[in-house]
Amino acid sequence: MRKQGYWGFIFTFPFLLQLVVFFIFPFLFSLYLTFTKWDLFNPPQWVGLKNWIQFLSRETFWLSLRNILYFSILFVPLQTAFALILAYLLNRQIAGKSLFRMVYFLPVITPWVAGGMIWLWIYHNDYGILNWLLERLRLSPVDWVRSGHWWIVIGSIAVVNIWKGAGYSMVLILAGMQNISNEMVEAARMDGASGWTLFAKITLPIVSPMVYMVMILSTISAFHAFDVFLVMLGDITAVADRNLVPNILIYRDAFMNFKMGGASAMAWGLFFIILATTLMQKKLEKRWVHYE
Amino acid sequence: MKALKIVFTSILIALSVAACSTDQTENKPSGGNAPNTDNPPPKEVELKIGLPGGYDITSKKIIDGFHAKYPNIKLEIEEAPWADFTTKIITRIAGNNPPDIWFQENAVILGYGARGVAENLEPYIKRDLKTEDYADALFSARTADGKVYGIPHGINAGALAYNKTIFQENKIPFPTDDWTYQDMIETAKKLTKDTNGDGKPDIYGFQTGNNITLGWLPWMKATGGSALDASLTKAAFTDPKSIEGLTYWADTINKLKISPSRELAKTGKFFENGKAAMVFLQYSSQVPINKNNPDMDWDTVKMPVGFNGNRFVPMVVNEWMIYSKAKPEAKEAAWTFLNYYLSDEAQTFLSESGASLPVKKTALEAVEKMTFKPGNKKAYTEGIKEAGGTLDENPTWNEWRAAANPILDDIMDGKRSPEEGAKEIQQKVQAILDENR
Repeated sequence: MRKQGYWGFIFTFPFLLQLVVFFIFPFLFSLYLTFTKWDLFNPPQWVGLKNWIQFLSRETFWLSLRNILYFSILFVPLQTAFALILAYLLNRQIAGKSLFRMVYFLPVITPWVAGGMIWLWIYHNDYGILNWLLERLRLSPVDWVRSGHWWIVIGSIAVVNIWKGAGYSMVLILAGMQNISNEMVEAARMDGASGWTLFAKITLPIVSPMVYMVMILSTISAFHAFDVFLVMLGDITAVADRNLVPNILIYRDAFMNFKMGGASAMAWGLFFIILATTLMQKKLEKRWVHYE
Repeated sequence: MKALKIVFTSILIALSVAACSTDQTENKPSGGNAPNTDNPPPKEVELKIGLPGGYDITSKKIIDGFHAKYPNIKLEIEEAPWADFTTKIITRIAGNNPPDIWFQENAVILGYGARGVAENLEPYIKRDLKTEDYADALFSARTADGKVYGIPHGINAGALAYNKTIFQENKIPFPTDDWTYQDMIETAKKLTKDTNGDGKPDIYGFQTGNNITLGWLPWMKATGGSALDASLTKAAFTDPKSIEGLTYWADTINKLKISPSRELAKTGKFFENGKAAMVFLQYSSQVPINKNNPDMDWDTVKMPVGFNGNRFVPMVVNEWMIYSKAKPEAKEAAWTFLNYYLSDEAQTFLSESGASLPVKKTALEAVEKMTFKPGNKKAYTEGIKEAGGTLDENPTWNEWRAAANPILDDIMDGKRSPEEGAKEIQQKVQAILDENR
């Protein structure tokens, strides 16, 4: 037994090593940094709780938190619902099923820069197709990503993120749907279930663990969102306070202003918020997720 | 024993003589601004040079010329696109693994100086340079306490560029060096035309910039305002003169409509494509214009005289810096490189590349005779001498600029009034200046 344990340790050592070097150490080091002033060159200086107090009293942090919450509230349910509908439709016997699956998955593998460029044109104030449509409907054009209203800007960006992420969530939910046995569906049909009843009473409960997982992953990715904002808002140094999200603030502080302590404190603040949200989702899990 | 001593001493003397003779013949640099080191040792030194933007920005001839003159200095060139280099260098400094010498924007170098990353070059300059041979921009990276953290890679100044064809078609005389901002605005009004009758201009008289270099700061300086005060420790955005400048700047788009909006400007190169008659143009921009539109008929005059009667020529200066934790021999080799970079030979290579203007006066004069467009290069060279100024740069330049930019964008887009925006910028910028004092 002892010999087996010894070999197990040897085989897992490379993984453990990278875990310690690239995860555990940076994780703990960043916690230490929250109590220091570090400019990435000179040795860190202990400042106690100064960074925590500073970021909690910083107006831009709370603005960024408001934005990311609004972004999550739009993104998570809409993306999950969209992925669920797509998965349901593409799980049926329809012509060109594989083609449609590929089409809906394409945004996932499209680089952000290319996808963002397309969306920036769609949203363009003068030449965008959205404003062209509004003009046709005799409505005023909207300044989508350059609006003075934060909720229009963040909402527009949330739509882009849904476009990018729905394909991946669809694949996860589709995998769950393909596990539903034909016998169960047949039995339900024999009992008179069809259409909406079949979807609501059979399909949805069975794929609910997948939907739950999609929601957890989407929530975490929403709070982490960075690339989409970087691409859609352009120059990271010129993002208006009203449109900020935490990761842009963290990046700016850490790598542009060399305030690693403050940036680490904000990153830990964000970690606690994500943790709290995830725990809340976990608590609600039992109410609607079926594992049997 | 005595015989052994004689043999040993003879060998020692012979080796010493051989060593001295090698020093004198192989290592004495030929011509140029050679480093002032007496009998430099023949030993090989490794020097890592970082080139953001690669050879598009730094002429390869300079690197090759240096290599030919100083074969004992083994070069390791690290070239990368500008954005990649400047992103990576941050973590490389944190890991104590950057190149021995590289260049970035002046403000960034000043920030490095404040953090101790950049070596103070003032003793080297004092030792080896005749400062009167160079333009004042040589000391762009000098701090209030006399330390110098960088040597200019090149000067990138601004001038007023104009499309001759548009002027000729409208029978309007070309701009001149004594033009004022008011002259420029009045002419731009005449040149703005809606040629297809859709109610929107198709040719604009002027294209207003949205950045600090060619956008809001020259307009603020034109009314006697500025971003920071002379000590660079106090924000000056709410100075009535600064607000007046911001108002003139935003009015070109929102009130006078002589310039495309910020959003519209992103759809194409208006001046390059003959859709804007005038623009403030940095010297380096002539390279893509001459490459992509060689037939375009255009020229430059000096930046206009301000509303207050004074001229301001914005200058962007990238600076070479030496890493403070580099090995002493690498630092000395890096300074040897900078000495060569400031020599007539290297400064001529720099001029030929067109990427920026040299800092050495003789090379700067030679630029005026070069034949590529713009024909009137004195707009830049004499403009620098007369009224060249940097962009209120201090160690927190990037941080306060990032705080001000979004609000300035709002002012330019007409979403906020200059007074209201300036008030908010003032608070934010002052808070950053105070925090980093």
